[in-house]
Amino acid sequence: MSEAVKHEQGTGSSALGVTAAVAGWAIPGLGHLLLRQWSKALVYFLCVGGLAWAGLAMRGGVFGGNSSDMFDRLGFFADLGTGVFYFLAHTIQTAGPDVAHASGDYGTRMFATAGMLNLLTVLEAYEIGRGRRA
Amino acid sequence: MSGLFSNLTHFQALTLFSLAVSATFAFLSKRGAVERAKYFAWAFLAFLLVAIGIGWLMYPFSQ
Repeated sequence: MSEAVKHEQGTGSSALGVTAAVAGWAIPGLGHLLLRQWSKALVYFLCVGGLAWAGLAMRGGVFGGNSSDMFDRLGFFADLGTGVFYFLAHTIQTAGPDVAHASGDYGTRMFATAGMLNLLTVLEAYEIGRGRRA
Repeated sequence: MSGLFSNLTHFQALTLFSLAVSATFAFLSKRGAVERAKYFAWAFLAFLLVAIGIGWLMYPFSQ
């Protein structure tokens, strides 16, 4: 491990970790942007945002939080991981979901995958902010 | 922008999915451009090959 990495891992705080995690959840990549990890911020924003946008454009379904079905709840938590894209879903997806067709079904999976990917990046942003990871 | 994604074929959707997931995993798990590029290429091709392979395996059951 290089000296630069050791030094970076030593600095950080809980507050910075939580701030980066919340920012990264709200807007994919923003947490890493706050931590000055430019390339990661850009890649995460493009990949998570692109996947979420594609999922909505393909008329994928977006799970609501009021379902009693366990799989729907899991889908809700996965979708919620996309942050701002979840709250803007109805604005982006003006035609509404159409899961009767294959593309709509793919869209549902893509949107949920974007949420899960973003949650992974949020965990990484938290670890970097805490100083546990460079 | 929505029109760009609304009429994707199955393969195009698979490729888009594979690109995004492979790139994110590469940046999450590897350090350095070369390591990331190698991991990205490996994961991307694995996604495509496995999906196409499973598609062919399921083909007889669709008849």
